Amino acid sequence: MSKIQEVKAKVEIGKTKLIAGLVQEALDEGSSAADILQAMVDSMGVVGEKFSSGEIFVPEMLIAAKAMAKGVDVLRPLLAGDTSNSLGTCIIGTVAGDLHDIGKNLVSMMIESAGFTMVDLGVDVPADRFVEAIKENENVTLVACSGLLTTTMPALKEAVQTIKASGLDVKVIVGGAPVTPEYAAEIGADGFAPDAGSAAVKAKEMVA
Amino acid sequence: MLTVKENLKEVMTGGNPDRFVKQYEFLQMIMSVPSGRVKPQIGEEVINEWGITIRWPEGQLASFPVHDAQHVVLKDVTEWKEYVKAPSMERPAGAWDQAIADASAVDRDNKYVAAFVAPGLFEMTHYLMGMENALMSFYEEPEAMHELIDYLTEYELDYAKALVENLHPDAILHHDDWGSQISTFLSPAMFEEFFLDSYKKIYGFYKANGVELIVHHSDSYAATLVPYMIEMGIDIWQGVMTTNDIPKMIKEYGEKITFMGGVHSGVIDHPEWTKEQIDAEFARACRESGKLYFIPGACQGLPVSSFPGVYEACDEAIEKMNKEMF
Repeated sequence: MSKIQEVKAKVEIGKTKLIAGLVQEALDEGSSAADILQAMVDSMGVVGEKFSSGEIFVPEMLIAAKAMAKGVDVLRPLLAGDTSNSLGTCIIGTVAGDLHDIGKNLVSMMIESAGFTMVDLGVDVPADRFVEAIKENENVTLVACSGLLTTTMPALKEAVQTIKASGLDVKVIVGGAPVTPEYAAEIGADGFAPDAGSAAVKAKEMVA
Repeated sequence: MLTVKENLKEVMTGGNPDRFVKQYEFLQMIMSVPSGRVKPQIGEEVINEWGITIRWPEGQLASFPVHDAQHVVLKDVTEWKEYVKAPSMERPAGAWDQAIADASAVDRDNKYVAAFVAPGLFEMTHYLMGMENALMSFYEEPEAMHELIDYLTEYELDYAKALVENLHPDAILHHDDWGSQISTFLSPAMFEEFFLDSYKKIYGFYKANGVELIVHHSDSYAATLVPYMIEMGIDIWQGVMTTNDIPKMIKEYGEKITFMGGVHSGVIDHPEWTKEQIDAEFARACRESGKLYFIPGACQGLPVSSFPGVYEACDEAIEKMNKEMF
């Protein structure tokens, strides 16, 4: 097995302590930083699919994302300025009145693993703040809004409609326990995902 | 007409109930127990008995532990002995008097005297460390996690001892959320490895000391954990969401465990709630799951609702289904 394949395999099973060394070995073997990054993105794609299908659970997804982050740390100096792997910037946040961050954090990790640069606005984010963040950051292609409470569904609607009314050229994906594909369409979102693994797949599709 | 207790027993044993059990009607919660829990009121922030900062912002339905770098109790589970200190079980003289008096006033032929225990072992791991850190630690530091859970288990057993000695409860309503709406947080194998033995000890202790009924709250998906629930001694799983296939679980496990829930609080318990929506949800739940091994109820973890009138409207909806189905 080549080192780059080994990196891919070890990210998938979340070997956080081994990845930095393996990535360095793959570089030493002659693999390019971009190829190694792509291998890790592919691994996370597999992880996302397995999570969506119920084959693995949150801890497995978390340690895989952590492993990838450790690999990216090694590659970062070599990738500076190289945007060929980037799908753009994704602004993410939980909508106003809602303090849940676990699901949002998982989605953020998975979307980042798919190749986006993430800007995390945190929880309880007013609709206008999403628009400000789009304007403040470069190359924003996607906004991900999360809402976990039935009572904050109106805030989710307001966030989506405020972003759309701004006229800025971004796609909006929504998710959270009470959100359905029908509701997402009704409030004008461009996409919906039921879980973190699917969110990464959908995010890539939406900006392709 | 059967008493509340008799009717519950008929439901749980697959007998001949003469009506649905109405939510929590069989439990008389004794909330005056000197639990030592420090909880915020709406708009407050407190440091609880474990040193965990708990915040309840205005406008929210519940309080949340705070896990930013300044507030998290445990950053590295391998250092748990340094940072995790169980609260004292000592209570001032007379601290139990009110709870004992409240329990004495209960009509025990009709209702179970019930003590409330929360948060559970899994919830304590993420209250102390934050969810992501806790979940990763099951993989990265399993020995330390086992040690921490053993320590938390010992505390729960000490608390259980105080409860049975002072209150002599007939039932325990014990919270520990083990999943999201669509999945368990841990794989069943990991759940078994880390939590089964601890809960067997805790629930076994209660059962060996006069507690007849263990009601465990997890308002989540957890169908894959039901065999473990049975093994650890849970009699009623409360908070069962419809993302679990409740009729299938009843068919497969009903003789060993009863399922309570079937109606999502998020669907019915909101500022614009209506009796029509509640009636429709309970009609669906009762028709789908039937009369045996099932207690219709919202998934809320206590006999309350977030918005005034909802809990009572749920009882009324169940009464309507009694007329239709009994």
